[in-house]
Amino acid sequence: MARAQDGDRRAYRALLEDMTPYLRTLAARCFREPSDAEDAVQDVLLTVHAVRHTYDPGRPFGPWLVAIANRRIVDRLRRHIRARSREIELSSEHETFSPDAANFQCEDTAADAAALHAAIATLAPDQRVAISLLKLKEMSLKEAALASGRSVSALKVATHRAIKSLRKRLRQSSETP
Amino acid sequence: MTSTRELIDTLVECATPVRRLRPPFVRAMLWLAFAGLVIALIVMGHGLRPDLALRLHQPTFAVTTAAALATGILSAIAAFVISLPDRSRWWLLLPMPALAVWISTIGYGCLTDWVSVGPEGVRFVDELRCLSILVLTSVPLTIALAAMLRYAAMLRAGAVATTGGLATAAITASALPLFHNHDATAMILIWNLGTALLITGITSVFGRRLFGLLAARLLASGTQI
Repeated sequence: MARAQDGDRRAYRALLEDMTPYLRTLAARCFREPSDAEDAVQDVLLTVHAVRHTYDPGRPFGPWLVAIANRRIVDRLRRHIRARSREIELSSEHETFSPDAANFQCEDTAADAAALHAAIATLAPDQRVAISLLKLKEMSLKEAALASGRSVSALKVATHRAIKSLRKRLRQSSETP
Repeated sequence: MTSTRELIDTLVECATPVRRLRPPFVRAMLWLAFAGLVIALIVMGHGLRPDLALRLHQPTFAVTTAAALATGILSAIAAFVISLPDRSRWWLLLPMPALAVWISTIGYGCLTDWVSVGPEGVRFVDELRCLSILVLTSVPLTIALAAMLRYAAMLRAGAVATTGGLATAAITASALPLFHNHDATAMILIWNLGTALLITGITSVFGRRLFGLLAARLLASGTQI
């Protein structure tokens, strides 16, 4: 570690590679999912890198590393437990895709969807393209800009205006049935 | 998600030489020297209270100020020591005796001078000036401490923020009587404990958040090539 602090990259690589299996053992004790354990290992490696100047070569390396590893693993575990208490993991049946075939609809939502599609059809062409790419096909701004050949800010403006006029139109249609 | 092997490659690539930290005692002394400088500057600006020499001969005043100062020094040392990952948590107890003496002398002063805690015991005449000294002392000290201990963000953020806050609070509380005349016991209690609770509270609540931001920045800057 002392050599790594002086900028010796080969020593640093050897050190990181040597400590990884050990960290994996430590993390595996706390996390059931191997991917969570691997995330914890990476977190420890990043922390070791960020605080490598705090190591004092006059003191043993082991306790320094174990203290950092324990701290990070406990922090992650705490966050993990907190997240699990308020989040539900999505299973594959919750996944959805934008093509029509993947989205079967019940009668209530079908009527709403038809009204929405009708309202979208009345929009100005540039606004219709923006809504269709960004909202219906769920593309990112960058992807939509690439697909439509328009700038990101133009798309943002078009979407904003489109949503405003859609809101107006849908409100009008709900008021006059 | 990057694989661990790729992560190691990236880390090795940005492994520039780093300057090792000085021993925690030396760094605590540097921060205390900075605190001394800040207080000296405020003394130059505001001037000392006229009856300071006289008051220092009074045991309660002298003990309270000395205990506050000792709490400040010891908690600064404790904060710098426990900010290092491999040091024992027992260092947290270092400022406790001085803290106990400080709080008990304030309490004792209140008990013996109980009579003076009347309606005239609470005065808000010069308090604004006192508040300005409090802010002028504690803000630079907190910023300096947060900058010096930023690496602790990923390690013991809560403990370091609270101990550091106590250090700033105690140093500020020990500096206040140099300028301000608090003969009313209730005001001594409010200012001493109020300052301590306020600064320690703010730093321990916001210190965690500040350290959270610092941790994210440290991680980001650590892996920039």
